[in-house]
Amino acid sequence: MNLPYSGLVSARKLEITILIGIIILVFKFIFPITENSFILILNEVLIFCALYFGVLYTSHFTQLKKNEPISLIINIGIFNAVLFFLSALSSSLFEVIPSLEVNVNFIYSAISLIIAYIFMAGVVVVLSAFKELYFIRLKTDTHKSYDAMIVFFILAFFAASLPDSNEDPNFIGLTFFVVSIILISINSFRVSWIAFLTKKQKTQLLIISIILGIIFILNAVSTFENSFIKQLLENFSPGLHSLLRLMMIYGSIYCGIIFFTSLFHLPTAEAFDKKVEEASSLKDLSRLITQVFDFNELADSITNLTTKVSNSDSAWLVTKEPGGLKLSSVSNIGYVDADEITKIFESEGILNQEEFVTFSRKQIRLKIKNDIRLFDFKALAISPLKVHNNTSGFLFAARKQNYGFDEDEKKSIEAFADYAAVALENAKLIEESIEKERLKSELKVAREIQYKILPSTTPNCDNLQVSALFIPAYEVGGDYYDFFRMNEDKLGFVIADVSGKGISSAFIMAEVKGVFETLAKLIDSPKELLVKANNILSESLDKKSFVTAVYGFVDKKKGQLSFARAGHMPVYICRNQKIEKLVPNGIGLGLDYGYSFEQNLKEQTVDLVDNDIIVLYTDGITEAKNIKMEEFGYNRFESIISSENFENVEELKSKIINKISSFTQGNSQHDDITLVLMKWVSNNKPSGVN
Amino acid sequence: MADFNVTTRGVGPVRVIDLKGYLDAHTAPELEQEFNKLIDHNDYKVVVNFDELKYISSAGLGVFMAYVETMRENKGDIKFSNMQDDVFNIFDLLGFPVLYEFFKDEKEAIEKFNQKEKS
Repeated sequence: MNLPYSGLVSARKLEITILIGIIILVFKFIFPITENSFILILNEVLIFCALYFGVLYTSHFTQLKKNEPISLIINIGIFNAVLFFLSALSSSLFEVIPSLEVNVNFIYSAISLIIAYIFMAGVVVVLSAFKELYFIRLKTDTHKSYDAMIVFFILAFFAASLPDSNEDPNFIGLTFFVVSIILISINSFRVSWIAFLTKKQKTQLLIISIILGIIFILNAVSTFENSFIKQLLENFSPGLHSLLRLMMIYGSIYCGIIFFTSLFHLPTAEAFDKKVEEASSLKDLSRLITQVFDFNELADSITNLTTKVSNSDSAWLVTKEPGGLKLSSVSNIGYVDADEITKIFESEGILNQEEFVTFSRKQIRLKIKNDIRLFDFKALAISPLKVHNNTSGFLFAARKQNYGFDEDEKKSIEAFADYAAVALENAKLIEESIEKERLKSELKVAREIQYKILPSTTPNCDNLQVSALFIPAYEVGGDYYDFFRMNEDKLGFVIADVSGKGISSAFIMAEVKGVFETLAKLIDSPKELLVKANNILSESLDKKSFVTAVYGFVDKKKGQLSFARAGHMPVYICRNQKIEKLVPNGIGLGLDYGYSFEQNLKEQTVDLVDNDIIVLYTDGITEAKNIKMEEFGYNRFESIISSENFENVEELKSKIINKISSFTQGNSQHDDITLVLMKWVSNNKPSGVN
Repeated sequence: MADFNVTTRGVGPVRVIDLKGYLDAHTAPELEQEFNKLIDHNDYKVVVNFDELKYISSAGLGVFMAYVETMRENKGDIKFSNMQDDVFNIFDLLGFPVLYEFFKDEKEAIEKFNQKEKS
């Protein structure tokens, strides 16, 4: 919003203005009165420059108020009143001095300078304030008529100093003056900003424009009267006086137009206010939706704004919950009443239509026939909250006056219902994601706990190398392995697989650990131990769940492996790169709690030979799948184990992991993977690798 | 996701459930529903035909465990038939043959039910 010529001068406008002011001061003391046209022109140029920089400077302040036209108008009014007061006072105190050339003295010069400066300041402020008012809400770039007006102001300013010949009046000056007034009249019609004021502000403006208009007219008239001030200013600078006159006329016209405009706007002000409020409340609401995650809080705002915007007395919001409709928020109506009305309309089946509906007084009466106590509502609107064709609730608006909802009110109720629907959806999504986040962090804790349940280190034995691995498919898994130092000679071990995956199996797995850990201290025989474990687990396992396990021990003194298999995967013994699958009878824990379990469980004992590798695993290995849904299978697994004579079981373990991961590449893990490897090294030679 | 399909047909007093595809934790509820329907209709004699079943997970096995008791308490049973070797291997490792009856062919299983009826 720059004046076209304001780019010429950078910062220091105030300093320049003051500097020119001082030059004028000096100039005026040297030439208090002159008829010399050169000096006169110089005088005019100086004053013009002072005014120009003054306007540039004050524009800074008026620009700050470009959104508060009323305060701009009041500013104009204050300066105007000062000028009025000054001219009235000085006119009554001083007479017109008949002959300046004779009577000019120092006091007169001083007073005239002070008064002239005040008038200059007044002109500057009024001009820049008008400029700002002109540019308020200017939507086009073309402001030719404004530019033209300024040009004519300048022309009128300089033309005023042209000498009046005795007979002819100053025709050129007069022409410019008249054109300026025409342009002022044209430009004064730019008062569209009035439309955007509130009703209260419009009323204020109406009153201000009357007062201000009167002052302007009085001031304007006084510039034409032959008064002390006129004489003083014309002597000081004819251009300034001419400009002042123009400003006063501008003000008078402008105030007049403001007066009529705001007068005519007053009747529609209320409706306009409403529209503005609606727009701003929708804006507020959309901001709330992105900021407030608590749906109930939002629901309160929605019902509140609905009553305001739709001219309703009450509004309430119900949401669809699994258990039926739930009242989320009420505005200006009791919970019980709102609930009751909702129920009546629900039972009438009106809510099933899931469409926007309104009801007149008669229709409401008809519906709530036997409950006169409740309602004096005479119009009711129900709007469904719809997102993706899914109705998540209803927004009710009701009014007590006996007139129906207008189209635009219906639209705004619908708009609020839409917002509510989005907010509700958002709140749900956020709640879900918070819940998800919470579960995630809890699962992380569960995972840490599970890793603590599993042995953190593998037992170190002189003649038994041990290595183990556990990779859950999800955060937590249902596989379990452990080692128990039963006595000096015997090292117990267990591997177990709980049916199912994830959390449910992880819980059972924790219990299985407790059972095995306790029993391993009490019972030596693998068969007895598994029978006992089956009995204990029968109390906690549900019908669908079972656990497969291999429990056994290595007797280092005898060089023997003893174990029993409860439905678990075969135990492999790899001897001289040949695998022997040991599958003694035995059914899974939890499949049967009677004699069948005990009867069918066979214990097996194997005499170990040097370099025998015992392999225990869960079906997560053999059932590992690649993208084509092919299983890793027994053959691949067994061929790795028998591929070479592994000096170190760690080596075998990493080879198995590598093969599985290169096989399943790109496919997610389906089941928990557990692997326990033990190598018998009876002659106690140090292991070759590492 | 691997697909799974379950259908039931009646052969005399016996219901035959045909399983197809992959029975795992995701698809197990479908089979559970089928069993619930049978119980609602007081059909307790069930033969499960595994002919077209490609894979069964521990969650799938759990379904039979959950319902066999109810069937047996009502003078019925769940019998398995037409199982492919790899699927049978899973049942076998777990020791199911001790607790359940397995048949090569569906007819044998139905026959077994009918024999019992007569005796």
